[in-house]
Amino acid sequence: MVGVLIRMKLAVLRNSTTGGRAAWMVTGGVLGLCCAAATVLLTFADVSHPGVLGDLLAAVWLGWALSWMIGPLWGASAVLRAEHFALLPLPRPRLAAGLLGAGLVAITTAVTAVAFLSLITYAARLGPAAALVAVPAAAGVLVLVVLLSRVTHALFTVVATSRTGAAVTGLLFAGLLIVSQSGWMLIVPILYSDVLTTGFSPLFSTVLRAVPSSWGVVAVEAAGRGDWPVTAAALAGLPVLGALLLLVWAATLGTPRRSRVTIRGGAYGTAPARGPLAGPAGAVFRKEVRTWWRDPGRITAAVVPIAWALGTALLPLTFGAPVLLPWAGAAVAWFAVTSAGNLYGDDGTALWHTLTTGSERADVRGRQWAYLAVYGPVAVLLSAGLTVWSGYTWAWPWVVAVVPALLGGGAGLIAYASVSALTPGPDPRRRADAPLEGADATGPSYVLFWVGILPAGPPLAVIVTGHLLDVPWLLWAGLPVGVATGVALAWWLGDRAAARLQERGPEMLHTMRTGRPPPPSSVGVARSPLGVARSPLDVASSPAGVAPSPSPAAVVASGREVVRVLGCWIGGGLLTFPQGLVPVILILVGADVRSWFLAMYLPPPWGLVLGVAGVVAGVALFTTAIRATFRRAVDGR
Amino acid sequence: MGSDPALRLTGLVKAFGSTVAVDRVDLTVPAGSFFGLVGPNGAGKTTALSMAAGLLRPGAGRCEVSGVDVWADPVRAKTLIGVLPDGLALPERLTGRELLTFTGQLRRIPPDVLTERVQELLTVMGLTGAETTLVVDYSTGMRKKIGLATALLHGPRLLILDEPFEAVDPVSAAALKAILVRFVASGGSVVLSSHVMALVEQLCDTVAIMDRGRVVAAGPLADVRGDETLERAFVELVGAADPVPDGLSWLAS
Repeated sequence: MVGVLIRMKLAVLRNSTTGGRAAWMVTGGVLGLCCAAATVLLTFADVSHPGVLGDLLAAVWLGWALSWMIGPLWGASAVLRAEHFALLPLPRPRLAAGLLGAGLVAITTAVTAVAFLSLITYAARLGPAAALVAVPAAAGVLVLVVLLSRVTHALFTVVATSRTGAAVTGLLFAGLLIVSQSGWMLIVPILYSDVLTTGFSPLFSTVLRAVPSSWGVVAVEAAGRGDWPVTAAALAGLPVLGALLLLVWAATLGTPRRSRVTIRGGAYGTAPARGPLAGPAGAVFRKEVRTWWRDPGRITAAVVPIAWALGTALLPLTFGAPVLLPWAGAAVAWFAVTSAGNLYGDDGTALWHTLTTGSERADVRGRQWAYLAVYGPVAVLLSAGLTVWSGYTWAWPWVVAVVPALLGGGAGLIAYASVSALTPGPDPRRRADAPLEGADATGPSYVLFWVGILPAGPPLAVIVTGHLLDVPWLLWAGLPVGVATGVALAWWLGDRAAARLQERGPEMLHTMRTGRPPPPSSVGVARSPLGVARSPLDVASSPAGVAPSPSPAAVVASGREVVRVLGCWIGGGLLTFPQGLVPVILILVGADVRSWFLAMYLPPPWGLVLGVAGVVAGVALFTTAIRATFRRAVDGR
Repeated sequence: MGSDPALRLTGLVKAFGSTVAVDRVDLTVPAGSFFGLVGPNGAGKTTALSMAAGLLRPGAGRCEVSGVDVWADPVRAKTLIGVLPDGLALPERLTGRELLTFTGQLRRIPPDVLTERVQELLTVMGLTGAETTLVVDYSTGMRKKIGLATALLHGPRLLILDEPFEAVDPVSAAALKAILVRFVASGGSVVLSSHVMALVEQLCDTVAIMDRGRVVAAGPLADVRGDETLERAFVELVGAADPVPDGLSWLAS
């Protein structure tokens, strides 16, 4: 059973992996391996307090478990799904076990397995018995996190079909994101406190070790102490909990017991005769706003950035720091780009409707306006309200400059990304019962997240200059610069998106119909959009008129190219932020932190020069990386 | 433009990789005709119609609607055609009325005319009973009907319909047929693809048979079928395999 499913999964992957998707898989795998390597290296750290390393390791493993729970909610549906086997006479637990086995054959599992080698390297410090225990413990936790991920996904799929459930899903998803990212917030206090010598509080250690992802650590440490009953209990707990999760998951695999919540529309509706909503773009705007309101998947997408921004801004209040409050609105505008970067992919083959009505330009503009209508008011209100609450009057010039730039830039980026990095997924009606089963646009979303911050650059540059030269009016000049940047980016990127849609609309529709970009005429497997040609004919016997298809070939990225692009992404990130913007800001506010910020080791004027040079070089690398990534995404899809 | 055929495909070619789905197809649909395109699964009907409708870029050849090149002057051509593709998504989170109103706005139909047409189409299609139902919750038959309504909304000269009667119940099918017959009687032209021979024989005055990407016969229905039924003519042209192939002996045991 498992063997058959694994072979089937590999066959599906082989037939559906394009160059672009392969590039994202390699990129994700390399990034994951870096994290895995860091996890293993952690166990070699020289820590004086004995319990601390175990605490740290347990915390990092919790991070891995949370990533497993979040990942599938954000990304695509599993390759093999229970519906595919609905008509086979298979008991559900057996099907669940089979799907679990097939699910273990994945890059993500391999990367996590590497990370979980850290338990063995950690155990090796505690003695040979602990090292022996570590092997089954690590394997057990690995299976457990995969199961946790499946059960979370199944539960969210059930919840997310109603609008309230979709909003709750968005909130929980944002919550999981905040918890996993706030690990970074913990690292700073850990490094600057003496926790590494005195250890964490007993309460923290106890709670942390009660979490199932920590049971491997518990078993290993108990084995190191020779405490065999605890070792046995922790080791036995893993399969018991795993079996329970498997049963829960198996129960969700059958035919749904309750019918879906039907969302209804209004009974009447006429076209407005005049006003801004009268034209084609107005019609698309009205259609999009209704879709944002009626489609549970869109509701989840709308809630996540807002909840994430609020949570991130409010979290530091728990230790009395209102420092992030003014940036909540900007964070909404920033994060929103990731949730709307595949609008055409999410709408599936409905693109034919746009093409036959010749309304490509209106479609792009209407979608941009709807995006602004969904996120704009929230971003503005949160910015105003929370800045007032924070009491930071100095923050106003920064906030009013950054928010319009990010909103407008976002409206441009989502339009351009939706057209140029189209990720095909199932048609909306095929996932009406499972709104989370969308296209896997994780890679482009991740790129958009980092690109989405760039529109804030011009207004920030003006304000920073104002600070440098001590010119008060320059501080406020950030506002018009921010608005101008936003308007210009929204208009320009939208214009490019519309032009591209007009030019390549039929190719995009083909991609949506078949799940793959149109192949070139001379090579590859043929498939007509809605049917398989019955008898393949030799293309050589066709007339000379068989012109090559206008679409480029699916480009498989070479290893060297992937490394180069990845290097640009990482280098761009390092130069722009920690070696660029951060030291510049630290110098400007007069902070005396050197850490690994090279510019802080120079006298201030030279430090500034080095910081600005870092930003320039970083942006240049980012530009190279963006161009290469998007080009490959386009070619590959 | 008056003497131009409703649709003319000239030397149309589309290859997907090494498979040629549509191979040098020449086809003329006379103005005012009810044209049936038949062929077995995978014959290239959908591919040919997608290219004619401006939804799939041809590898070579021309598609003209009333003399207007679909790929050279798409804006003008698209005002002349109404399209019903098979199995494609629609803007799913709208009600039927909202979808038609939305489509009419995209086609810049004046609001008062639009309101009237939408009401009439919903009534004729029998969709007024599902006013608050979103398209995503429509049955397959309802989707066909709302799709046909969006195709008719702007009063096109040519309707391109891909399998319009598939999954439509007999009562709705009769209503759809009546609408199409009336459309042709009032001077419009219809091209539909189907593999239900009886239906094509009943509705169409002109037919073409496609097989393996080629047009193997085309012309007035009477000429193509001769003294036989269309089905027999089709089977002869396409080359029927043994009607009851060997094998599957285990099924009876």
